[in-house]
Amino acid sequence: MYDFIIIGAGIIGTNIARELSKYPFKTLVLEKENDVANHQTVANSAIVHAGHDPIEGSLKAILCVKGNALYEELEHELSIPLLRTGAFVLAHNDEEEQMLRDLKVRADHNGVPTSTILDGHTARKLEPNMSDSVTQVLSLPTTKVTYPWEVAFACLENAMKNGVEFRKNQEVTNIKWVKDRFVVETNFKETIETKHVISASGIFSDQIAHMLEKDVPYTIKPRRGEYYVLDRRVKGYLERVLYPLPTSKGKGVLLVPQVHGNILVGPTSVDQLDKVRTTTTPDGMKQIKEDAARLAKNIPFDKTIRTFAGIRAGSTYKDFFIQESKEFKGFYHVAGIDSPGLTAAPAIARYLVDEVIQPNVEKKENFDPFREEKIFFYTLSEDEQKKKIKENPLYGNIVCKCEKITEVEIMEAIHSPLGSDTIKGIKKRARAGSGLCQGGYCENTVLKIIARETGQSLDQINYYGKDTPILLKETKVK
Amino acid sequence: MKTHLLVIGGGAAGMAAAVSAANKGFDVLVVERDRELGGILNQCIHNGFGLKEFKEELTGPEYADRFMNQLNEHKIPYLLSTTVLDIVRKDHFTIKCSSVEKGLFEIEANAVILSTGCYERTRGAILLPGERPKGIMTAGSAQRYLNKDGYLVGRNVFILGSGDIGLIMARRMTLEGANVLGVAEIMPFSNGLTRNVVQCLHDFNIPLYLSHTVTDIRGKERLEGITIQEVNEKFQVIPNTEKSFEVDTLLLSVGLIPDVTLFDSLTLEIDPITKSVVVDQNYETNIPGLFACGNSLHVHDLVDEVSNESKKAGEAAVRYLMHDHKNKHTLIIEKNENVRYVVPQTIAYNQLEVEHIELSFRVTKKISSAIINVMQDGEIIQTKKARYLVPAEMLRIAIPKDKITGISSLVLAVKEV
Repeated sequence: MYDFIIIGAGIIGTNIARELSKYPFKTLVLEKENDVANHQTVANSAIVHAGHDPIEGSLKAILCVKGNALYEELEHELSIPLLRTGAFVLAHNDEEEQMLRDLKVRADHNGVPTSTILDGHTARKLEPNMSDSVTQVLSLPTTKVTYPWEVAFACLENAMKNGVEFRKNQEVTNIKWVKDRFVVETNFKETIETKHVISASGIFSDQIAHMLEKDVPYTIKPRRGEYYVLDRRVKGYLERVLYPLPTSKGKGVLLVPQVHGNILVGPTSVDQLDKVRTTTTPDGMKQIKEDAARLAKNIPFDKTIRTFAGIRAGSTYKDFFIQESKEFKGFYHVAGIDSPGLTAAPAIARYLVDEVIQPNVEKKENFDPFREEKIFFYTLSEDEQKKKIKENPLYGNIVCKCEKITEVEIMEAIHSPLGSDTIKGIKKRARAGSGLCQGGYCENTVLKIIARETGQSLDQINYYGKDTPILLKETKVK
Repeated sequence: MKTHLLVIGGGAAGMAAAVSAANKGFDVLVVERDRELGGILNQCIHNGFGLKEFKEELTGPEYADRFMNQLNEHKIPYLLSTTVLDIVRKDHFTIKCSSVEKGLFEIEANAVILSTGCYERTRGAILLPGERPKGIMTAGSAQRYLNKDGYLVGRNVFILGSGDIGLIMARRMTLEGANVLGVAEIMPFSNGLTRNVVQCLHDFNIPLYLSHTVTDIRGKERLEGITIQEVNEKFQVIPNTEKSFEVDTLLLSVGLIPDVTLFDSLTLEIDPITKSVVVDQNYETNIPGLFACGNSLHVHDLVDEVSNESKKAGEAAVRYLMHDHKNKHTLIIEKNENVRYVVPQTIAYNQLEVEHIELSFRVTKKISSAIINVMQDGEIIQTKKARYLVPAEMLRIAIPKDKITGISSLVLAVKEV
């Protein structure tokens, strides 16, 4: 019997897994998808927000500011990418300047360090492509950008190193309370017993809760956001995250420099009933361009390499809902985690474990907080690269020419503890296919490397899920 | 490593350039990313290649083979499975390369020809709306999987864009047993060669929907269906013109873009239409000794034309190595509203060493009858009549070098008559 089952291996579930792995618990993470981090965690703005925006006193405000600080720790311990961009929130006129001052008061109240108001002229010297019509900005130096799914991989890898078990492709189909324990049923007709269940199931949180509870205290309200991804060759266009003033609908369309040099523009914010349809629309694409034009000039939309949409799992509760079930002790909701969920994730995990669960056992003495350093070959100096190639000549084979990803990095993505044998899985881990040609040059080679390394035939290799092969039918009998 | 001339890319353009520069007393070296020479020709197993170059009809691999043989005859060395990472220029060029065999290494060269071909425009670049299931792929990728690896990527297929690869793949996938339901083209005319529209679509009863584009994509894991709609002359979607197709595969043949990413660290003038570098009649960029040709300069209709152009680039590179031109003076070639782009974009008037300067260009729209004039200082220095001009087919006009007398701009004008 497990002490804890965590449902969901997104940014929240993986952070909780790592936090629980500090204790002598037997913990299992169940993920219904074929990979870690496949819904909100793989389709968001990637910002570690300063915490200027959530309402004072809310869990969102408290855990955002704490989470922001905790990312420094994650960077040190787990070798996750962290780009210290800082951010500007932009005002264009007297009315907006007043709103900016109010926002500064809120930021101070929330405990956001070192925010300052700058005039437009000063700000434009720092960010020359910022729109000419900007009159004032709120500067937020603690805003950062990370690589969200890498954070989830890192947390879960580290949790597994410290004893947590992980199973993917395991959809929870029912949860029952039998005598003194929870019985979790999965799509494999398996029943797993556990003392506690933590639901970190994002967009499906309310459905999971309904398996047990009669009265689920919230309903998930899916909100779709569309984005443009600009090629990393726009590097230098922008240093900081640019925000408009927040509205009741959220933070609005942003410009976000990414850790590997791309820029994200978006998101839109559209309520929808469907929980999984991540559609991009001509209207959405148009709206992003219009809204972004208020932030910056000459945005290089001609360097667009991709568009995508993500679903945010907001809820009717408004704030993060991190509570033990009133009906079933030992069942924990971690729900309604929309923005700033990525930022707050490490703080959410600590809050859940330390304040809500309050374990009555001591932490393990042998918890190892460190993960082996993860490097992207292209970021190394020439000497370091040469040294690596000497150790393994396959570093000399540049498979993804756009992003300069080597064969070794692709092999590592296949064979790492949380490895993957799908094209999308390799893209998430090694970034092959993330560039200008979107895999046009390298997908073919990546496919063959996966087949070689896993002993599968070419038409067995999936793009992502189990029925998504790239190649449908062999045409010639050899 | 050192060489006089380095050719980056061993496809149709690179091989022709290298062959034409051989045996002139200079070392020529070709670097190629793939495991073999030939580039995209190797996956073009259909015929129609070589009618101009060899006066006979060949398949892509056969055409490539001819040039490989020439390369071997001239004993031109080449490095395979080698990726060029960067080009640095000081007095000469330093080319940073990577391979399994040699690791990271540098090649010093006095002159460089870029012949890296082009890449395919992707879904992201054309902002195709809808969901993102698997089953959407560029036509060239599908061609490679089918012709080099022997696998079909789809059973029920729709093709967006009527570029030549899309048309060829419509036929090719039909022949391999796939069901190709149609081709949609946003322009009111095909973007491929007429012969391909006839031989690949008409002959197989595959409908071509002109002035149509894809407006929805459905499917969670695998593509389940698409919707196309008609567009007006401003490319706005016309409501209530939806046609739906249940397909598992959508191939994109929506344009090719010259791959000049290796020039990123250099300061080069870029032509916004070709999306490649600006060159003069010697295919030389504004950096002396740096040349570009083939599809990495502008996208050609026929490989024969790539070879022809690249030979000139190779010869020009040899002249550069012989004379070491430092002070180049150029004039600009302007174009009228009917001309979409012209290559070369400039003429180095103090380096007029070939008898004829050939301008390659495309028109912006269908023109049934036209006069093509090249003018300087208001005077017509070359003229030519032409019929049935379409944007999909590249046009040419040659100007005798002694007709260029002044230093003022040339004007290329296509007039409807």
